[in-house]
Amino acid sequence: MTAETRMAAIAAMQTSLEASGYITERDLAATLLLMADLGRPLLVEGDPGVGKTEIAKALARARGTPLIRLQCFEGLDVHHALYEWNYQRQLLAIRVAETAGASRVEEDALFSEKYLLKRPLLEALTQAVPPVLLIDEVDRADEAFEAFLLEVLSDYQVSIPEMGTIRATSIPLVVLTSNATRELSDALRRRCLYHYLSYPSFAKELAIVQLRLPGIADRLGRQIVEFAQALRQQGLKKQPGVAETLDWAAAILGLGISSLDEAGPDRIRETLSALLKTHEDVRAIEPVVLDRLLALAS
Amino acid sequence: MALTVTEAGTAATIRMAGFVATLRSNGFVIGIRENEDAVALATVTGIMDEQPLRWGWRSLLCARADDWARFDDLFDSYWMPPNRKALVESRAGGAGQVAFSDEAGSQAGRAGPVLQRDEAEDDTGLPGDDTARDGASAARSIADADFRSLNDKLQTYAIETAIRSFASRIKRLRTRREQSRARGSRIDLRRTLRLSVASGGSPNDLRFRVPRRVRPRLVLLLDVSRSMSLVSFFYLRVARALALELGDVHVFLYHTQLTHVSDALRDPDPWRAQERLQLLSAGWAGGTRIGECLAAFNRQHGRLVNSRTVVIIASDGYDTGPAGVLGAEMAALSRRAHRIAWFNPAKADPRYEPLARGIREALPHVDLFAAANSLKTLEAALGSLLEVL
Repeated sequence: MTAETRMAAIAAMQTSLEASGYITERDLAATLLLMADLGRPLLVEGDPGVGKTEIAKALARARGTPLIRLQCFEGLDVHHALYEWNYQRQLLAIRVAETAGASRVEEDALFSEKYLLKRPLLEALTQAVPPVLLIDEVDRADEAFEAFLLEVLSDYQVSIPEMGTIRATSIPLVVLTSNATRELSDALRRRCLYHYLSYPSFAKELAIVQLRLPGIADRLGRQIVEFAQALRQQGLKKQPGVAETLDWAAAILGLGISSLDEAGPDRIRETLSALLKTHEDVRAIEPVVLDRLLALAS
Repeated sequence: MALTVTEAGTAATIRMAGFVATLRSNGFVIGIRENEDAVALATVTGIMDEQPLRWGWRSLLCARADDWARFDDLFDSYWMPPNRKALVESRAGGAGQVAFSDEAGSQAGRAGPVLQRDEAEDDTGLPGDDTARDGASAARSIADADFRSLNDKLQTYAIETAIRSFASRIKRLRTRREQSRARGSRIDLRRTLRLSVASGGSPNDLRFRVPRRVRPRLVLLLDVSRSMSLVSFFYLRVARALALELGDVHVFLYHTQLTHVSDALRDPDPWRAQERLQLLSAGWAGGTRIGECLAAFNRQHGRLVNSRTVVIIASDGYDTGPAGVLGAEMAALSRRAHRIAWFNPAKADPRYEPLARGIREALPHVDLFAAANSLKTLEAALGSLLEVL
């Protein structure tokens, strides 16, 4: 493939992501293309609220494939993630067989697909069309689960003791996200492509706001984004992410404010609950600070 | 003709392998498969166009945020002619990056200098030799910083013993959540029930929930300016011992700028640790800008600080930066950190009073203000630190 066609493919990827509502830089589009080329999962890290999870959603929309999501948490184990037997139905089947007077119940029938509850990982491996599999906040799961993931993600096959090995019918596009709650193992990191998503630049965030809130006036949009970007420089305990900026913009629009400087600090303060999420942060934005931020944004 | 193409291909492959080796010697973890994929990627995207190749390799060869931040500089220094300005557009973007991009061309040090070991003359260079520092930043170098003493077993033995006892106490430390947890273990019903299936429904084999233990994270900010030169090596040894003993320790040096040195300190190869520190330490024993360095820390590494982070700042508090910055940054830091401890070597003197402007600005935000200039005072300071945790 020549360099030109590669760049064209990257640009096309970027456009199709944009069409499905996700503004991205070209480097991320290039990485997403690479995922399909190399058949490797993608690990995305970055601050909370920068749109890590959105990547998987947008990718699924852009490719027109289903999104299968596995939300990780402490104590997540193989059975939550992969499969579980439907014990109730199995017991019921035994009882029914007993009352019907059957002399024995076929064990193979009890451990068949009929009684298998597919959890996200198995669901993703058994789809006819390659789906997008989102393994969200993988750092919240325990080390043991991470080790198990290694096997699934490198061979794309799982074994169920009662049924045997199940090979993937189609290799899903896997997106893992992490918030660095815990350091992930080198083994997992090495098997993945890596992308670090930082807070968006002014232009990108403005584009996102305009895409999501098409009705917003140009000047107000700029002020809102300027304000959010300046707020991120304040060393807050909980930095506002892109989602918070969008919430705030919606709140401002809802109040019928057409310009931040005309609305005045008091009305703006009423809406700040969309951006500031801890008591300390609310306290840190004193009237003086708010005035300065508003002056910066106007 | 065909032969020429093959030769060119081989040369390119060797050059790519060289790049991967450079990344590895800079602390990137790259396996053989990634190496093969990197070469394959070059054939897919074409090696003539730098941009897609850079993006692809960055995704493929980086494994953590730290690698990500340094990749562009390493890529430029390996592949670009030295006087060609780096392409700012490709850098990991985001708020606050604008200010950096202006300096990107001139400043070699943002990601730390490039370390290349495969050059023949490097092997002959003694640690104090200038060859090791060639290619480091243009800023002041550290002619008299002798990192060899970092590996002196006799000198560090006592420190390591003290740190080990501190570390084991920190590992045993019970967090408030653990203290308040009801006595006894809780049965993991789900697992127990699942196991019970094997025995026909009777729960013979009980499984218990194992609580995950969360230890405090330590962030050390060590002042290595001229006024601290007598004790800065002592602190560095303490930091190295801590980093080797505890997992979640992050060490930064600062003088007029901030440098992240955790990886270099943890390097199992002492020769390389020494050289990496030497390369990282441009500006050692220079002036101090505590406020601005703290601002840089808050901006770039703020994610390290959360409600279980203990920040230890080692400094005498002589700040040459503008007034007010240090106080404001300390306030920002204390809003996010669990505890802030300030170790001041000067406080060991009974006549000492915190009169320097820097320390006066900082003190209202400090949870523990302790003297630490020798092993004895350090042990006392670590003891009081455990009490406030």
